[in-house]
Amino acid sequence: MPLIRVVKVTKSFREESLPVTALDSVSIEVEEGAFLAVCGPSGSGKTTLLNLIGCLDKPTSGNIYLEDDEISALGQKELTDFRLRKIGFIFQDYNLIPTFTAIENVEYVLWLQGVAPRERRRLALEVCERFGVAALAFRRPWQLSRGQQQRIAVARAVVHRPRLVLGDELTANLDHKTGQELMAFLKELNKEEGVTFLYATHDPVMMGYADKIIRLYDGRILE
Amino acid sequence: MLLFKLAFLNIGRNPRRSVITVLAVAVGLGALIFLWGFSDGTTDQMRENVIQLVTGHAQIHAKDFEKKLTIENTVPEHRSLVKRLSGMKNVVAVTERAKCEALVGTSENSRGILLVGIDPVREVKVTRLLNYVTRGKFLMPDDKRGILLGNRLAERLEVDTGDKIVVMTQAMDGTLAGFAYHIKGILHTGSQSLDEMSAYITLDSAQELLGLEGEVHEIVVRLKERKALPAFLASVKSFLDLKVYELMTWDQVVPEVEQWAAWGEAIIRTILVAVMFVIGVGIMNTVLMSVFERTKEFGVMIAIGTSPIQVMKLIFFETFVLEFFGMILGIIGGYAVTGYFGKVGIAFPELERAFSKSYMSTVTYTQVTPAHVIQSIIILFILTSFISLYPAWKAGHTEPIKAIYKG
Ligand SMILES: Nc1ncnc2c1ncn2[C@@H]1O[C@H](COP(=O)(O)OP(=O)(O)OP(=O)(O)O)[C@@H](O)[C@H]1O
Ligand SMILES: [Mg+2]
Repeated sequence: MPLIRVVKVTKSFREESLPVTALDSVSIEVEEGAFLAVCGPSGSGKTTLLNLIGCLDKPTSGNIYLEDDEISALGQKELTDFRLRKIGFIFQDYNLIPTFTAIENVEYVLWLQGVAPRERRRLALEVCERFGVAALAFRRPWQLSRGQQQRIAVARAVVHRPRLVLGDELTANLDHKTGQELMAFLKELNKEEGVTFLYATHDPVMMGYADKIIRLYDGRILE
Repeated sequence: MLLFKLAFLNIGRNPRRSVITVLAVAVGLGALIFLWGFSDGTTDQMRENVIQLVTGHAQIHAKDFEKKLTIENTVPEHRSLVKRLSGMKNVVAVTERAKCEALVGTSENSRGILLVGIDPVREVKVTRLLNYVTRGKFLMPDDKRGILLGNRLAERLEVDTGDKIVVMTQAMDGTLAGFAYHIKGILHTGSQSLDEMSAYITLDSAQELLGLEGEVHEIVVRLKERKALPAFLASVKSFLDLKVYELMTWDQVVPEVEQWAAWGEAIIRTILVAVMFVIGVGIMNTVLMSVFERTKEFGVMIAIGTSPIQVMKLIFFETFVLEFFGMILGIIGGYAVTGYFGKVGIAFPELERAFSKSYMSTVTYTQVTPAHVIQSIIILFILTSFISLYPAWKAGHTEPIKAIYKG
């Protein structure tokens, strides 16, 4: 059974009374353990798709299933809990909490889950070590380079071992070398722990890491 | 708790704004404490003024005397009553008076007044009348034909110390009685009714004038302190026959005082509401600003699984911490300022005329009432909590997508 099933999902926005169809009857299945890239030109609906799968938004029509649960049937509380426990987010511009140190940013998700302080710190340090940023643990985000910030952001997205990690243009702000290093880490995590990755990109190099590529054009899937 | 830590960290993020918020709360609470202290000090002094000026803490008359001032209505068995009262707990001094309506005049002017016969020796132990003699001298026990006039009365009659005036009234037997007195002293109490409409002679002289034959109209009791009054009243009531006597407290004798106090309190409360409003708007403003600045952050927090309630809690924490420090500062400041002016006093010499009707002092000694401080804290706490409700709600209901991609 696939981890995610997107069934005939349409998402339209109404901007200044001019309706925009960002996704048009899109259906995809994502198997557990996949390393999947979503590509397409700007405005093709990549971000929209990721947001829907990430429970940040609801489709205009169609259904999205995360395992057995139909996302649009969930209430606010359950959605929050879903995002907290099942999904990890990596944003294009990292979006670390600026007042927290690097390690606190990573720990934060564990705290939300109610993990005890010691265990929290141990798990967070472990992940940071894995991504080679343990030495930066006690710096604040503004004391880190962009690549370092994104690694911390990745650590935050995976520290609680979610079933699914979503990354929207996660390397777009990084230079090629740093971006590739990051992708290598993620791929490793995917291979070793079977974490499912779904990332949007229009960088051909980044597409190269994917097991499978979903191509979007004008809100439709290109086969 | 990580959320609490985050709140602290966020406060440190914009130190200037945090300091301003803390100061707003501090100044607000300090002002509340001070204003209330001012009000309490004023009304308390007003009460003490009345008590010490004329009324004493309690008075005993024959029933219905105070209202009608019927001169035949003397206090039954006043000697044994005075003796008994003098021996009671917390009683500092007791004196007796005769009181009647009279006409004082010179060949040119005359005015209706309240003539009071006092025992000079005992009177000064009960009231402070002696302190208000601004010209001339207080009465001596053997001043058979000496009289004290209020300064305004003297002005109206165009007389001064040493001058002679005639006092006329109806005696016990219904005849018109009149004596000539020479003015021994001029009183200036600051109370309009006393300064304009009262004159004092010795009790002996009054008894002679009215034909009272040793009887009196009023027994005045001074207690150690105002707080002792309820217990005193209770024990007096246990033996005093209220069908024969009337027992009055100072505030029954001069009921205006409590009205003035209530009025003053109402004014203070109005000012308090205004102060609160200003503080409230100030705090609302800073909290809202800090929330709007962080829309994107809240969006991210919610996206990665923070619940709206937790975000709201964060805002509450932040406001609470600022409020807490502000309140500590406010309490210290409020106590310090109120305490200082409680010692030094605040003078309003120019208000003497306005205050003369109200027994208010022209110097106010502010006074901290812990109950009012606690009330101020609670009021401010509720207000600020209420005020941070909207920003907190706003932050908690950030839409992650909009906040992250459009911010
Ligand atoms: N909140 C929104 N309101 C209105 N229109 C939107 C909104 N979000 C996206 N759209 C529209 O939906 C379409 C798809 O947008 P989306 O952001 O998903 O594209 P994308 O593939 O991520 O593009 P990019 O590569 O530039 O990030 C676009 O035409 C966009 O203008
Ligand atoms: Mg996009």
